[in-house]
Amino acid sequence: MADYDAIVVGAGLSGSTAAYCMAKAGLSVLVLERGDAAGVKNVTGGRLYGHSLEKIIPGFASEAPVERKIVRERVTMMTEDSCFTADFHSASRFADPACASYSVLRAEFDAWLAGKAEEAGCDIVCPAHADELLEENGKITGVKAGDDELTAEVVLLADGVNSLLGQKAGLKKELSPHHVAVGAKEVIELPKGVINDRFGLNDGEGAANLFAGFASGGMVGGGFLYTNKESLCLGLVITVADMAKSSIRLPDLLEKFRDHPAVKPLVAGGKLVEYSAHLVPEGGLAMLPALSADNLLLLGDAAGFCMNLGYTVRGMDLAIASGQLAAETVVEAKGKGDFSNAALSGYKSKLEQSFVLKDMQTHKHAPDFIEHTPRMFKEYPALAADVFTQLFRVDGTPSKLMLKKALPLISKVGFLNLIKDGLKGTRAL
Amino acid sequence: MKKIAVCYKWVLNDGDIRVNDKTRDLDFEKSKPQINEYDRNGLAVGVQLKEASGAELIGITCGVDTEPSAKDALSRGPDMVYYLNDPALAQADSAASSKVLAGMVRSLGDVDVVLCSECSSDDFAQQVGPRLGALLGYPVISYVSAVKLEGDALVMDRKLEEGTESVKVKAPVVVVVSPDVCEAPIPSVKQILGAKKKPANAMDLAGAGLGPDAVKPMVTVQSVKAPLTSRKAVNLLGDGESVADAVAKLVKQLSTDGLL
Ligand SMILES: Cc1cc2nc3c(=O)[nH]c(=O)nc-3n(C[C@H](O)[C@H](O)[C@H](O)COP(=O)(O)OP(=O)(O)OC[C@H]3O[C@@H](n4cnc5c(N)ncnc54)[C@H](O)[C@@H]3O)c2cc1C
Repeated sequence: MADYDAIVVGAGLSGSTAAYCMAKAGLSVLVLERGDAAGVKNVTGGRLYGHSLEKIIPGFASEAPVERKIVRERVTMMTEDSCFTADFHSASRFADPACASYSVLRAEFDAWLAGKAEEAGCDIVCPAHADELLEENGKITGVKAGDDELTAEVVLLADGVNSLLGQKAGLKKELSPHHVAVGAKEVIELPKGVINDRFGLNDGEGAANLFAGFASGGMVGGGFLYTNKESLCLGLVITVADMAKSSIRLPDLLEKFRDHPAVKPLVAGGKLVEYSAHLVPEGGLAMLPALSADNLLLLGDAAGFCMNLGYTVRGMDLAIASGQLAAETVVEAKGKGDFSNAALSGYKSKLEQSFVLKDMQTHKHAPDFIEHTPRMFKEYPALAADVFTQLFRVDGTPSKLMLKKALPLISKVGFLNLIKDGLKGTRAL
Repeated sequence: MKKIAVCYKWVLNDGDIRVNDKTRDLDFEKSKPQINEYDRNGLAVGVQLKEASGAELIGITCGVDTEPSAKDALSRGPDMVYYLNDPALAQADSAASSKVLAGMVRSLGDVDVVLCSECSSDDFAQQVGPRLGALLGYPVISYVSAVKLEGDALVMDRKLEEGTESVKVKAPVVVVVSPDVCEAPIPSVKQILGAKKKPANAMDLAGAGLGPDAVKPMVTVQSVKAPLTSRKAVNLLGDGESVADAVAKLVKQLSTDGLL
């Protein structure tokens, strides 16, 4: 007899969700987390789209430690000395919990979700590093952590983007620099009222701002800024392939971003309380691994369920949904007493029928588009800046019509490029 | 040897204490409680003695909200834990803590060895071990850097400034261990899981044979502030100056400051 029905490696959002759902269905579950507590090792930009967790724990936002509900969306094109921002504000259109999104800090949020799993009856051990998968006659029978061997009918790998156990089990390959980005972020403390004033928010309301152009030093990637209750998350996500070629280090790039004339006043007077860095899977479907094997499932970032569309990053809602679907699959397998790959393959079909693989399919050209359209990160922010400078710079020299002002600027980038990128972009994103 | 009691304190993680730059006040908001690092060595020695003697190992602690400590303590080896909570212990000094711990030890009956570490990371008073000895009427062996069981006696090394002293004592005894007495291993997964199955018992003052006076501190803390560190900020290597000159200046400066 195995010690547990299921062992989950990693108490991130995918792992804790799976553990919670399996325990609720009456399975015995052990979760191993290498951090001192759930969430301490985890990094995110900051925005959780709530829909997938809402289905599992309706009304979760009223009990979970969410920071602010996002009501203001900003997308900014940035050059060294300018910012062109589209700003959309609506409290009512994002009011429905089914579509609401929230800024979150992982140390608090993950600890809460792990706590829910524990309440539901899971054993959660942290710090506990899962070192190896146990195998007997070619069949995975559990996990080795230090000198301890822990056995289970099925192992769920929710160990994040760099899933070493997933690689060892042969489900996925080593990460390619083109399929992964590196993110760095700072948490900057500011009083609640100051944040409300600077971003035009009421208590409890939040803003999300993504930046293209100067923020990433022209490299493939971008900057982000999220408002929390009493802090801001400011950070960058840049593909590893570009970062490796660059002479500037990520922390220095982040500092330049923070010192940009349009960002500086937003963070002024704040206290830097945390710096963290982490990888982000960005390969989309192109890097999709085998999602299951005999007695084994891959969840969340470990499976590469993450989408970077430039105007938004989504990984957490996918991680949560994959955790729920993995749990459903395991519960069914338990019912049949069969944990073979054939019995677990329902996991992939469930993902295909859900938004997880549907959305990744819809946006499957996004990673390629973003990587192969460097103009998005250099020429277009400059173009926006030039057009707006022409529109609003009045210095007494005879004025021209708008079209005349814009045409020569656009021709610098190339009309065809603009049309081509525009079409490709609207198709991919 | 039948019963060993090991004392541990449930303290706030000092690594997460933050200082308010303006008032120098300490902000404990981000600090989570943990077992005092020094006491982890005491627990580890307890496990060694338990294994050598077959004695029962009992963890004891007191404070305001120490129940959550039991799981962590139990994962480090004791067979059971007794914890005593009293709101007045929020202001406890070493005298009050020692009285409560001594009461707990007495109520356990016939404790052969009481293990303590030298200090706690929060108050650093270094008094509980010796006070326990006085209250219980046990001899106290301090600065212990090695412990061995020999029959019904303990042979211990005491690390002193001038060298190492070796002592042999028969139970009952209070042993105060130094951090270098042995490694304090991180509990394994099975130990952590096993901890859930061991008993964690609440005790109150009456149960420890004490009245409410026991928890009254003799020392009251007026305020706690972070120290101000000021730098002289002297630039010794100015523009165009040679490194050799700068070094000479540095040596001079350090000797005038009495640092060499
Ligand atoms: C800078 C940045 C910005 C992002 N912004 C957003 C955003 O705004 N919105 C969004 O939805 N997504 C965002 N993402 C993506 C999102 O954070 C991830 O998709 C999400 O965290 C994935 O969750 P997970 O549970 O699969 O993995 P993780 O959160 O990485 O959890 C993995 C867990 O496994 C543990 N672990 C690993 N190995 C072991 C082992 N051997 N033994 C025991 N435990 C182990 C780790 O400690 C960790 O707790 C961002 C990511 C980054 C890095």
